[in-house]
Amino acid sequence: MTSPIDRHTYGHLVAALVRRWGTHRLEDVEDAVQAALVAAVDRWGESPPDDRNAWLYTVAHRHIMAEARTTKRRRRLLDQHAPERPEPPPPPRLSSELGDDLLRMLFVGCDPRLSPAAQLTLTLKILCGRSVDEIATLLFVRPDAVRKRLQRARATLRHAGVSIDDVGATEERLPAVQQVIYLLFTEGHLSHAHPTAIRSELCDEGLRLGGLLARHPVGDAPTTAALMALMCLHRSRLSSRTAPDGGILLLTEQDRRRWDPSLVSEGLRWLERSAQGEVFTRFHAEARIAAAHALAPTLADTPWRDIADTYALLERLAPSPLHTLNRALAVAEVDGPAAGLQLLAGSTPPTWLQGSYLWAAVRADLHRRAGHMDEAERLTDLALALAPTGPIAEALARRLAPG
Amino acid sequence: MAQFLCLQRSLPRPAGGDDDASPDMSPSQMQEIYAAFGAWQERFADHLVDLGGKLGDGTVVGRADGPLIEVKELVGGYMIVEADSLEGAVAVAEACPGLVRPGSGVEVIEIRRP
Repeated sequence: MTSPIDRHTYGHLVAALVRRWGTHRLEDVEDAVQAALVAAVDRWGESPPDDRNAWLYTVAHRHIMAEARTTKRRRRLLDQHAPERPEPPPPPRLSSELGDDLLRMLFVGCDPRLSPAAQLTLTLKILCGRSVDEIATLLFVRPDAVRKRLQRARATLRHAGVSIDDVGATEERLPAVQQVIYLLFTEGHLSHAHPTAIRSELCDEGLRLGGLLARHPVGDAPTTAALMALMCLHRSRLSSRTAPDGGILLLTEQDRRRWDPSLVSEGLRWLERSAQGEVFTRFHAEARIAAAHALAPTLADTPWRDIADTYALLERLAPSPLHTLNRALAVAEVDGPAAGLQLLAGSTPPTWLQGSYLWAAVRADLHRRAGHMDEAERLTDLALALAPTGPIAEALARRLAPG
Repeated sequence: MAQFLCLQRSLPRPAGGDDDASPDMSPSQMQEIYAAFGAWQERFADHLVDLGGKLGDGTVVGRADGPLIEVKELVGGYMIVEADSLEGAVAVAEACPGLVRPGSGVEVIEIRRP
């Protein structure tokens, strides 16, 4: 979408129109918003209207009305008791109202009848204004699969008769909403397959929706604060993770002066707010780890003991061999590489991790530091062979190079 | 060890409202928050029996001269802490940095089992 309208408008419009027309018309609403955006590109030219949102809302609304009339003519039976909607409603003006609708739509999209993957896809489509092709690229699935996922998701919402005005138990859905925001963010943060620009946009979508959630009574909970903390703290380091030539910079190679101090401060404020005694979640643990890194003035100052302990807690809260792997690295910094290796010796990774470069790379690193050169060399070769992209392979080669 | 129910009072938003225009913190301020969070996490990692949860709908009856207040307006959540004494439980509750603010607090009640 290269138009004078930013992406956020798309989600706002969809949310506001779904409130007017109902969740069962979701697809019509999406088409209408698309049509309105195209119309804006055609007609605004040099002089866009003062209230762009109102203009877009009205055009999209008329588009749906026109579609509805056409459909109605075809179904004459319905005509008798289906009065025309005479005038478009007053377009919403207050940005806070729009924000409210957007948030409601987010909760609608996180319907428990949908899988997390479907929730994420739907959110990317209707709230972030991503095209099917863009989503396919972002989530590493084929466009066909994205289309099917979206159709099934819309059908599920339609059949369930979900209404944007009655989202239901928002409290029960809060974890799913937080999860979608988290996935949105981590997708941007971790996926080295994408250019930095796309990744920071995704991270910012996560931060934007998270901020909206955290500042609304419905989502104002310590867990949301912890989620915001971890997102701000990771986002503060994002640009320093990429070299000017597009390569990946490891923690040891990053210029800490490029970390964004405002985002670190904001992250700390959320961290403080998250420590409210109610629950300790994986978001809390991850925020603590991110804070530990963000606050260390130099690599040598990193509080590895804190990090190792928090990973241990994270393993209990959300068991994953990836957390064990991370803990092993932190433990190796405190107690030496042998201690790190010992930790890994006790765990059998699942097949997906065994086939990943990460498992080989961490062990290669630890064996090299422990002086087991043959084993280190074998694992380095394996890690390099498994590296999914060129930049990752280059970063590994630097880190795992002998000497 | 006895168990204690810590009822958390909802906190007002931090002074200064939204975080958008807040100035950057000094390194020492940040370290302070980090340390407080760490102490909180440390302490509860061993003491938590029940990781707690949101309270459902309900009401509490105020004193004779008080109004009836919806429990969610008053109480943000709960957790159950194990400690030797009420003082010990209070110490654990006090270690929660989010609570050390004017106008907020936590109510610690011993859970008596027959």
